[in-house]
Amino acid sequence: MDGRRVRPVGAWRYLLSLLLSLLPVSAGAQALAGNEPLTVSGFGTLGVIHNSSSEAAFVRDLGQPKGAGEGWSARVDTLLGGQVDLKLNDRFDVTLQGISRYHHEGDFSPELTWAFLRYTPSPGWQLRAGRLGWDSYLFSESRYVGYAYPWVRPPVDHYGILQLDYIEGVDVTYRRPLGSGLAWAKLFAGRSTSHLVLSEALSAEMDISNLYGGHLNYALGPWQFRASYARADSDADFSVDREAFARNPRTLVLNTLIGRAFDYGAIELYSLGMTYEQGRWQVQAMQNRSTTDSEGVIDSGFVSLGYRTGQATPYVMFSRVRTSFPEIPAGESFRQRTWSLGMRYDVATNLALKTQLDRVHVIRPGLLWRETDADWEGDRITLVSLGLDFIF
Amino acid sequence: MTRFRHFIAAALLVTGGLAHADIAVVTNANSGIAQMSRSDVINIFMGRYRKLPNGELALPIDLAPVKARFYQALVDKNLAEINSWWARLVFSGQASPPHQAETTAQAISLVVHNPSALGYVDTHHLTSELHVVLVLHE
Repeated sequence: MDGRRVRPVGAWRYLLSLLLSLLPVSAGAQALAGNEPLTVSGFGTLGVIHNSSSEAAFVRDLGQPKGAGEGWSARVDTLLGGQVDLKLNDRFDVTLQGISRYHHEGDFSPELTWAFLRYTPSPGWQLRAGRLGWDSYLFSESRYVGYAYPWVRPPVDHYGILQLDYIEGVDVTYRRPLGSGLAWAKLFAGRSTSHLVLSEALSAEMDISNLYGGHLNYALGPWQFRASYARADSDADFSVDREAFARNPRTLVLNTLIGRAFDYGAIELYSLGMTYEQGRWQVQAMQNRSTTDSEGVIDSGFVSLGYRTGQATPYVMFSRVRTSFPEIPAGESFRQRTWSLGMRYDVATNLALKTQLDRVHVIRPGLLWRETDADWEGDRITLVSLGLDFIF
Repeated sequence: MTRFRHFIAAALLVTGGLAHADIAVVTNANSGIAQMSRSDVINIFMGRYRKLPNGELALPIDLAPVKARFYQALVDKNLAEINSWWARLVFSGQASPPHQAETTAQAISLVVHNPSALGYVDTHHLTSELHVVLVLHE
């Protein structure tokens, strides 16, 4: 059997047995009840994806070492998360969350995503300390909670390249009514570690320090707007898989170039986002620009439009990403855009079925595709995905 | 005879009105809150900003038999959409959902015993211990 088509059968069995053992109790969506001091809840996705291309394997983000090659794969989207919330008193509470999904270690080993103490001294103020979610982009913190959004996965062009799984630090949020809407501001500071797999032969452990930033939000009726900024120092520790190099020596040049693009000392991120939810309509739009101190630029954005009719919510989405690293030859910059068409179907109030068709136009290949030849010039790739999202 | 007909018409009007009862958003009679705007109630029940007009941290209470009608009237969303909304907030560690009451008696008892509780009941089930801060027409 071709190596890239091996499916993680062990993980499937594990997820399925967990799912089956949990679903009967979840009928009342216990997760979403604030009654008890201690709540245990969770979320998950059983997802399969079909890739039309024999030349490039699809990954959901740069943390995934292997992708979904030609044919069907359950690797990229399937995941399971669990959360414990403990209310200590009216002002203090603790949250722990772990997620098992296919990630940089090449397996589904669970990771602790949140572990924080929250202090709510008044309705307007909230302080958190510990391991926190990173939410510079709208929906970043909930990007693995499939039940929370209409798509099979958040647009990879936008969420696939620059993400932190968590930050270790503190954040403070202040909310107040402003005009006839509600305004809130959040500031955060901390550090993080990020694992990027830049190609089969090259991965990087990024030590992210002096990380700080914040965002301003305004919600008015069906509208919500966010403007955010973040900056961090970064120290990349590259590791090279010599066997992978030996198998395909032509990737050496490409890897060196990609490595240089990510060997920056500092990065700044600017992001704008808006959502509109009025009755049956759901619109989301975001635009980011990230710049590195070595003059690298990553631009990405997306627009999504959905309309609920009964239990079904069909949607259409357009996303794109464009990178430019002046230090490496222009031909190595990465560009692609994607049209997605899909539908979410709410089977129950804790279970949604989804299907999505992605047509990806890889204009300049580079990141986000695995098992490509060094001379791959890009292509139009069709992906078909099926997903079952649940909460319990 | 005409009087009798008027009586029938009035009775029909009343029962017709009852069949399409409204939903009352209620607080404890001692909360000191006169009334609340729809956007205040949305902010509290959707976990955005849980401040009561009296400055206290609000304790919102969902009532299972009326929940679907309440959110349809308040924000025009069905229960799957409401759960989807809460999945985002809960699993991103931002807020915790309202307390879930199974029966009207439970909801009323919580409101009566807690000055910062904010609940809702079918207008049929209003009692003198409850203070109505907003009426949602369906």
